[in-house]
Amino acid sequence: MAELNFGYLPGDSFFHRLDARVKLIGLILISIATLHARMAPLLLLQGTALLPLFRIGLSPVKILRELRYFFVLLFFVFAARSLSTPGEALFSFMGISPTLEGTLMGLLVSCRLLLIALAGMLLMATTRTWEIKAAVSRLLAPVPFIPHARIGVMIGLTLRFIPIILHQVRQTQDAQRARGIETRGFFYRLTRLMIPLMRRTLKDADSMAIAMEARCYAEERTDPQLNAEKRDWAALAGAISICGFVILL
Amino acid sequence: MAEITQQDSFNNPSQQLRMTVYASLFAAMIAAGAYISLPIGPVPIVLQNMFIYIAALLLGPRWGAACVGVYLLAGACGLPVFAGGTGGIGRFAGPTGGYLIGFLAAAWIIGLISSKGKGRALFDIVAMILGTALIYLLGVSWLKIVTGMTLTKSLAVGALPFLPGDGLKIAASFLIAKALRPVMEGTTEPVTAAHEYP
Repeated sequence: MAELNFGYLPGDSFFHRLDARVKLIGLILISIATLHARMAPLLLLQGTALLPLFRIGLSPVKILRELRYFFVLLFFVFAARSLSTPGEALFSFMGISPTLEGTLMGLLVSCRLLLIALAGMLLMATTRTWEIKAAVSRLLAPVPFIPHARIGVMIGLTLRFIPIILHQVRQTQDAQRARGIETRGFFYRLTRLMIPLMRRTLKDADSMAIAMEARCYAEERTDPQLNAEKRDWAALAGAISICGFVILL
Repeated sequence: MAEITQQDSFNNPSQQLRMTVYASLFAAMIAAGAYISLPIGPVPIVLQNMFIYIAALLLGPRWGAACVGVYLLAGACGLPVFAGGTGGIGRFAGPTGGYLIGFLAAAWIIGLISSKGKGRALFDIVAMILGTALIYLLGVSWLKIVTGMTLTKSLAVGALPFLPGDGLKIAASFLIAKALRPVMEGTTEPVTAAHEYP
């Protein structure tokens, strides 16, 4: 799953060419707007998030596979809502009686979460890590008392480390499974998975620090150029008006 | 690898860079922790809060809190790092938002107590228990405010089912941190050898 969720897909679509800052602001706006969104605009926005995902070469099957863990979470959210909201019972089965109001509420909340996940996926697939890093540090620059350049670097590094860690976990788990670790207890498996995993990733991090130092890394540096053109301002205005519309509707 | 002390890590630029990279690595671990699960019976245990304990134990209060802060900021921007691959500012306002803030407070307090204890076992364990208590204090009270449940019900939904798992995670974090401190401090070189596997 990690390959895509945190991966960049090369391409030349509209979203690839859009300024990273605009995309980041757009994502934040969407996550705020969904708090109050109703069903119809949510479905509409999900459609508009899916279209560019298809355009950059993701098939529906692939998207479903990437989100399979996410759907487990959605199911729990849905179940919790439909069982805990008071209202008219739909049916009763072995003491479980989901209510109509709860089911509708659960669907709504699930759709909200799904929209944010799709939008996040779109951002990650169309933006290079250095663009996200530059966008974060540029957007945080006006906030006083925080080292915006370092935070930008840290977010960039964090996003790059996630696939490395997940790859390492898979390798270690496979190796241990091949040696029959599944017969051992939980605690044993937990510590025996974590210690080699963290040793190795700490070593990777160490090499990374040395490599950055060797390349004269410093916080006062010329940031990569981010150009906001007419197209970007238009997209930003579009995002703001869509989100405003969704909130008001 | 040079020895890392709290004082050092804020003055020496080379040490500072190393701690920056380590803190980013642990932020990535916390995010990856939402995807790594080990099943006990039918229930998969998510390892997210364990990584917060380990990060705070190994990085100290300031870098530990910085690491959790970066994780939360990435999530607030909508990057897919929170549990289940979602993000968004909405998660802070939602019923589980208190736990997220609790993570930040816990990282700081665990780092503080454990660095005062200089790696003594009792300090580490007490630090983690206090940190866990802090997470649930903030998490459950926010859950209660948002959902309007009674205190008993909030506790039953938002704290009690997780406590046994947390006990296991505290014990595991203690052992893992103990095994990794020499690697962090450079007293042993990390080895990638077959004997690490059982």
